[in-house]
Amino acid sequence: MNAIEIRNLTKAFGDKLAVNGLTMSVPEGAIYGFIGENGSGKSTTEKCICGLIQPSSGEIKLWGKDYRDQGARAQIGVLIEAPGCFPNYSVWNNMKLQAANLGIKNEDEEIRRVLHLVRMDGAASNKFKNCSLGMKQRIGIAFALLGNPKLLVLDEPINGLDADGMRIMREILLDLSHRGTSVLISSHILGELEKIATHYGIIRGGKMLREMTASELNANCPTYVALKTNETERARDILQQAYGRAEIDEQTGEVRVYGAYAEDVAKYLFGNFGIAVSEIRTAKISLEEYYVGLMQEGRR
Amino acid sequence: MSANLKTDDFGKRLKTMLKVDFRRMFTMPTVWIMLGISLALPILILVMTSFVGGMSAVDPQTGLETEMESFTNVWQAIGSAGGSAMSMDLTGMCNINLLYFLVAIFVCLFVGEDFRSGYVKNLFTVRAKKLDYVLSKTVVLFAASVGMFVLYFVGAMIGGGIAGLSFDLAEVGASAGSIVLCMVSKVFFALVFVSIALTLSTVGKQTLWLSILGSLAAGMLLFTMIPMMTPLNAGAFHVILCVVGGPLFAAGLGAVSTVILSKTNLI
Repeated sequence: MNAIEIRNLTKAFGDKLAVNGLTMSVPEGAIYGFIGENGSGKSTTEKCICGLIQPSSGEIKLWGKDYRDQGARAQIGVLIEAPGCFPNYSVWNNMKLQAANLGIKNEDEEIRRVLHLVRMDGAASNKFKNCSLGMKQRIGIAFALLGNPKLLVLDEPINGLDADGMRIMREILLDLSHRGTSVLISSHILGELEKIATHYGIIRGGKMLREMTASELNANCPTYVALKTNETERARDILQQAYGRAEIDEQTGEVRVYGAYAEDVAKYLFGNFGIAVSEIRTAKISLEEYYVGLMQEGRR
Repeated sequence: MSANLKTDDFGKRLKTMLKVDFRRMFTMPTVWIMLGISLALPILILVMTSFVGGMSAVDPQTGLETEMESFTNVWQAIGSAGGSAMSMDLTGMCNINLLYFLVAIFVCLFVGEDFRSGYVKNLFTVRAKKLDYVLSKTVVLFAASVGMFVLYFVGAMIGGGIAGLSFDLAEVGASAGSIVLCMVSKVFFALVFVSIALTLSTVGKQTLWLSILGSLAAGMLLFTMIPMMTPLNAGAFHVILCVVGGPLFAAGLGAVSTVILSKTNLI
């Protein structure tokens, strides 16, 4: 069963369509990377799922039930934009309120558990307003984890986190996913997302551009040989003819050849055409490159 | 693994919501400030007006002499007998009825902070039933307003004692029983202000100034009615009117607030 199932979701703010007939599904236990440009409708979709804004039309189901179902909604942990905390309350008091809201029995124990998970044990007595951006983000994640929700909806949770914070976040989400928790996570830090996501949804202009699993993305992201030479354009033309697909990376000045082995390419260029290769490596199209390519394709 | 979607019954949901709201209220400095004002306000009014009472001032241009008004009896700080509309003098305007405005402001601050801090994101994600929220807020804020009215009453007694005012009930046409009934009526009438401010806060959401201004404007319309509904010589009629009418009014507006929260964007 899917944790989230969305069909033809539309949300309009006045004349502007923020989400336009979006269809997507998040399987149970998946870490679903929700990707899109600013203003593409990611946050609006997440807010609709959490019942914070009212969809104009369409259907949202959580574990097969309508998203307004109290039982389904009680299973969601959420971090949308910033954590919803009272600035003048201590972190502890803020968490006590949410623990009471969730009807958690051993409140203190549970709060200590989630604060420890995000390595914020020492910050419990701090006033929320005095916490740094990174601390606030970790506390927001702790909030979302209170009561072991079965679904996490996280909007840009990695923003403001340091390297250690990102690692902790990664470990927590992978662990939760292994235990069956579903995660819908939107982020612009695609490198981090690529390390944990099992599914992807790429949204543009409020519409789902592509939805795929990590292995499908892998298949869409071929390996290539990148090389540097003094005769870039000539090398490109030769390799294009020999291997079918070669291009120049405008940013690095490298020639990229797809479907080839590094050693063969270097030998072929030097042996047959006398073109010396100064640097050569094998690499793979990253999620970021795939995404940028997809966006550029969309614009064209 | 399939999520176990168990649904709590209404009683349990309301209990946890009340726990959240009471805890939130008592960890909020504003409630203590409001309770402090409720106690201090009558003391300040009664003591300060007693200094100027009976003094006269002459207008230098017209030569007209006016005597400064003041309270002569401590029960004037609680209300006036007779059940007529509000009198436009010092005792008619500067009495316990001012608290209704304070209650309205407190409701707006309390509810508005939920929206301004983004706390509603945590709250309403896991709570689909908006009725729980409205009901709990009404109960908690009503409890706070009861506290404010009791403290004002206590403050009026202290202030009256300090200012040396008369405590004679007959002088103002009231009795000990009617004072109790008057206070019960006033307290339940506060539900009208609580529910109006709550509804306007659900409309205003993060826009606190809008909720406060709207609540004060609505309060001004009702202000002149209060002495008629809750006179010092209140009887069973006034009590029934307020004890039954207040909750009914709150239930009606509560339903409106619930619909507003269910049909509009929360953030």
